Amino acid sequence: MTKMAQLMQWIDDRFPLTKVWNEHLAEYYAPKNFNFWYFFGSLALLVLVNQILTGIWLTMNYNPSGEHAYASVEFIMRDVNWGWLLRYMHSTGASAFFVVVYLHMFRGLIYGSFRKPRELVWLFGMIIFVLLMAEAFMGYLLPWGNMSYWGAQVIINLFSAVPYVGDYLTEWIRGDFIISGATLNRFFALHVVALPIALLLMVFLHIVALHKVGSNNPDGIEIKKYKDENGIPLDGIPFHPYYTVKDIVGVAGFLFFFCLIIFFAPELNGFFLEPPNFTPADPLKTPAHIAPVWYFTPYYSILRAVPDQQLGVVAMAASLIVMFFLPWLDRSKVKSIRYKHWSFKVWLGLFVIAFFVLGYLGMKGPTPMRTLVAQIATVYYFVFFLGMPWWSTWGDTKPVPERVTH
Amino acid sequence: MKKLLITISAMLSFSLSAAEAGLTFPDDKLPILNDDALIVSQQRGMQIYMNNCMGCHSLEFQRYNRAAKDLLIPEDIMIENLLFSEGKVGDLMENTMKTKAAANWFGAAPPDLSVVSRARGTHWLYNYMRGFYVDDSRPYGVNNGVFKDVGMPHVLENMQGLQAKTEKVKGLENDVLYAQADIANARKQLEEGNNTSEAEKMLKQAEKTIHDAEAAMVELAAAGEFFTIVKEGRLSPQEFDSAMADLVNFLDYVGEPIKLERERLGVWVLLFIVGFGFVAYLLKKEYWKDIH
Repeated sequence: MTKMAQLMQWIDDRFPLTKVWNEHLAEYYAPKNFNFWYFFGSLALLVLVNQILTGIWLTMNYNPSGEHAYASVEFIMRDVNWGWLLRYMHSTGASAFFVVVYLHMFRGLIYGSFRKPRELVWLFGMIIFVLLMAEAFMGYLLPWGNMSYWGAQVIINLFSAVPYVGDYLTEWIRGDFIISGATLNRFFALHVVALPIALLLMVFLHIVALHKVGSNNPDGIEIKKYKDENGIPLDGIPFHPYYTVKDIVGVAGFLFFFCLIIFFAPELNGFFLEPPNFTPADPLKTPAHIAPVWYFTPYYSILRAVPDQQLGVVAMAASLIVMFFLPWLDRSKVKSIRYKHWSFKVWLGLFVIAFFVLGYLGMKGPTPMRTLVAQIATVYYFVFFLGMPWWSTWGDTKPVPERVTH
Repeated sequence: MKKLLITISAMLSFSLSAAEAGLTFPDDKLPILNDDALIVSQQRGMQIYMNNCMGCHSLEFQRYNRAAKDLLIPEDIMIENLLFSEGKVGDLMENTMKTKAAANWFGAAPPDLSVVSRARGTHWLYNYMRGFYVDDSRPYGVNNGVFKDVGMPHVLENMQGLQAKTEKVKGLENDVLYAQADIANARKQLEEGNNTSEAEKMLKQAEKTIHDAEAAMVELAAAGEFFTIVKEGRLSPQEFDSAMADLVNFLDYVGEPIKLERERLGVWVLLFIVGFGFVAYLLKKEYWKDIH
């Protein structure tokens, strides 16, 4: 035995290193027909690592107090070596996280990756999504710019819609009668400690659940149905090295656009870093137009589409909650868009349009016309999900192949 | 579906007309310079800033020696000509204006301008600096076409002189005022249900008047006939525009000192990623050649 093999043996006697490596990488068999849409899972992991690493280094120089937070961010931008790069990687990474996660979820939607036996994979993923929203919301307060301040004001005030205890609840969240240094401090603690731990735990569970049942694929069929004499799926290939080398190509493609923004348009025309946030937080000066960052705007639109504030909050919460039930809403005989009835493409296409329209409207100030359009899109959003048990059984499905098409 | 499309297109056209309603004058583009010319412009801008703006507007996140390094100004020249306080060259560019007193003098304390170029944008700044005009109703005798009723006096009057709206513009503004009064009247009548057909006609006519007047103002501005100089300054209008471009370019630098370096570096980063992606693709192809 070589020295290396001896060392591995020593570790394996005490910790299942080889076993874990094999189960999750070298002998984890993934369908060989993954396409473009399957890059976004590993990319989400990449962005998570990016956020954690840049976040740690930002924390070294950031000062979470009402007096110094804003100045400390500019200090990072100017006086910390490569601080500007860390900050842009983190701010662009926040938006990139949502781009990647939305595409990852869309993949699940078109290929039915949430269907039995992958319900828990979807549920853990949804919890990650909600945690990510909380993480992004709290992180957005930290630069302590005026949009940070008023954006948080709007969102925290949503909780005042809770009957009876609303006002106490908002006060409890803020830790003060208004948003102040106390709020900033607790958001900082949650943003850098509590939520990242919860996120990492959920990501771990998401992957454990996935590897228990195995990955779905664009055909929406189970590769475990046909195995060779060693019990290896005929259409499966080891995740490592095949998908590790393939995902690296995806990483390069992602990094190209990621760095294009970081180095040439870090504000992305106000989409990633909003102009009012270059003015310090001022409780007496409301920005002319308060809008959340782009990734929240579809839900913000749903909130505003409902004339009554309390019901608006309910609608917004419901728009997230309804997604949790997706595994039980889809009653189609097949999983993948490839073999579903053509009407699925119409329902899904309209859903994508509605989602983008809601996102666009959420960035704009309300007018009667815009509110009407948002209401139509909101209704469609709910009809899409709640009507799914009914419309997903429409029409004939196409015959599903026995083996994956590659 | 068709109805949805119509609604969406109606909404888009509505947002366009809403954007038009927020007219500001002037509304000219900041000239774009190449990197070498830009640094020279920023140097001149810093000179203008230190001599005219620094007394009230600090740049509290910017260091003197960082500006010296980035704008290629030798430190001794910086200390001799641009550092007016008793501070050191490594200091932040702060001033001694008391916030409370300043708020008393101007209505609002003059803000720190370190990142104003990112909050307002260079286009806004360029036009704001050129937008002061005579308005006797204001405490300092001037108003601003971009920032209405701003508390700041026309500090650069010695450079620009004073400009006033031309008679044509004043006439158009009167038309708009009357039209707005008509609209208010018509709305009231409509609400009360009197003379509805008459009121609707008046409303339409007034809206058309405003629309036409705004279009005429945009035309006048494009022809350089929106403002006219009523008191000559030290600089010609062209020289003043160029000086303001310098000033804005300097503020743009202060807003993000790393900007030029960031873009220079970005090219190499992207080139590396393209090369890396190519090699990664070849590796993937090699591994995958036996997967059928």
